[in-house]
Amino acid sequence: MSELLPLIRGVYGIWLREILRATRDRGQMIGGVSRPLIWLLIMGVGLNPYFRGEVFGEVRYVVPYTYLQFLFPAVIVLNIMYTSIQFAVSVIWDREFGFLREVLVSPMPRPLILLGKVLGGATAATLHGGIVLILARFADVTLTPMQVATALGLMFALSFGLTCFGVVLASRIRSFEGFGVFSNTLILPLYFASSSVFPLDPALTRTQTAASYPEWLVFLVQINPITYAVDCLRGVLIGFNQFTPAYGPIIIASMAVGFFLLALVDFGRSK
Amino acid sequence: MIARRWRVGLVNIGVIVALLVAVSYLPPDTSLRDVQRSGTLKVCVPPSFPPLVTGDAERPGFDVELVGQIAQRLDLKLSLNVQPLMGQDFNPRNWILTRAQCDLIAGGLADTVQNRGFLQMLPTDVETGWVAISRDGVMPAAGASVAVFAQSSGLGRVALSSWLRAKGLRAVRAASATALLEAVASGSAEIGISERFALARLDPAAVGLRRDWLTDESFAHNKMALGMWKGEQTLWRAVAGAVDALRDGGELQQLRVQYGLDGSLESTLRP
Repeated sequence: MSELLPLIRGVYGIWLREILRATRDRGQMIGGVSRPLIWLLIMGVGLNPYFRGEVFGEVRYVVPYTYLQFLFPAVIVLNIMYTSIQFAVSVIWDREFGFLREVLVSPMPRPLILLGKVLGGATAATLHGGIVLILARFADVTLTPMQVATALGLMFALSFGLTCFGVVLASRIRSFEGFGVFSNTLILPLYFASSSVFPLDPALTRTQTAASYPEWLVFLVQINPITYAVDCLRGVLIGFNQFTPAYGPIIIASMAVGFFLLALVDFGRSK
Repeated sequence: MIARRWRVGLVNIGVIVALLVAVSYLPPDTSLRDVQRSGTLKVCVPPSFPPLVTGDAERPGFDVELVGQIAQRLDLKLSLNVQPLMGQDFNPRNWILTRAQCDLIAGGLADTVQNRGFLQMLPTDVETGWVAISRDGVMPAAGASVAVFAQSSGLGRVALSSWLRAKGLRAVRAASATALLEAVASGSAEIGISERFALARLDPAAVGLRRDWLTDESFAHNKMALGMWKGEQTLWRAVAGAVDALRDGGELQQLRVQYGLDGSLESTLRP
């Protein structure tokens, strides 16, 4: 136990540093609040008239929710994606300015250093996802404490996986500029191809869905892991799943474990 | 020391939370304002759907009295828009109800996934579901004929049809509730199945028949509901608030008692 305590304190110290840095960084905090405002307030409200029916029995998208309710869980995932993947910038920063080197030569095992950093990043990303829940009233999403707790748990697991993914990226991209460009070209396509802003009607067969969207787009949506993360949060927050409900938690857990292992390998090679 | 360390981060989080809370009180649309400007709540109803809409000035029906009380609570004038095509066809598109004609749709809609695909449903605590008309209240053997009058309230017809097939029963379409009763009374069908209120104006006991719930896992009982257009959130909140107030004040229960809707059918069809 006495050997374990310093290690736990070490993990806590690294976690705390990441949290303090994330919460003090006004730019990151503004980003965390501007995304839900843009997506829910401007895009959600702006597109709302195009997703409602003018004649009973005629709507473009037959989902048992309003467009704002449909969009709400996806905006949470978007906020998590940005914060988690952008967290990798802190890894590059630490590498550039020597902090990482100092930590790496400490007696702390590398997996625990990585765990502390990833837990810090995941906590910050969960916070950014969690603050979107404040807009539940605006989107007319009624939440019970149980739903909030389940959603936060899923958000944390997703944040953990995506933060590890960010670390993997950071270990392969050496510059801030390169990472900025790359992360944007990654996050937005993943988000848009996750059935986040347009629904694939679960009542339709594959052939019928392909009549609404080209098959390549349906294929992209179906192979995108973020699709299932969004779907999982939709299931918890508005009780609506477009895909088999079990897929979401399985894919989120697989991402967390898989990317952590990958990050461990890459982080172990860090000099 | 600890407090100072967290101060900046907590202030940032506090500002963001306060901003999002304030934003969540913004109205997402103008539907309530538009109705308040016109001073009239337009409600589309069928000519008759007893006991929800009766066409009798003395006892106009549960839904009609309910929307009257809602309008009163919202300080609006009620305008009943009787739609002759409403309920005449199981496809609601053929009822030709438009947003311009109705703020609310009452008198024969169930709170089902089918209806929620097109409208936002506001349950009124009145229970509905598939009901069987039979001689002895017993499920017929496989191969028997079943008269089905699939009315228009939005209950799951696909689930009923799958259930009939799974039980090996032969469905025969009845053109009306009266035709259904005649088919069972004459013996051309062993039982008849329709929605609870579609059979409400008939008296099966007069021809030696009885009425029982048809229950199965694949089709649960539903609540009757008022339908509102998707995306009209501010009006929805106001109407939902009025219904909640009527529920809390006991007026809703009083109305249910007045129209004999407080209880439900006692028995279910025996296997």
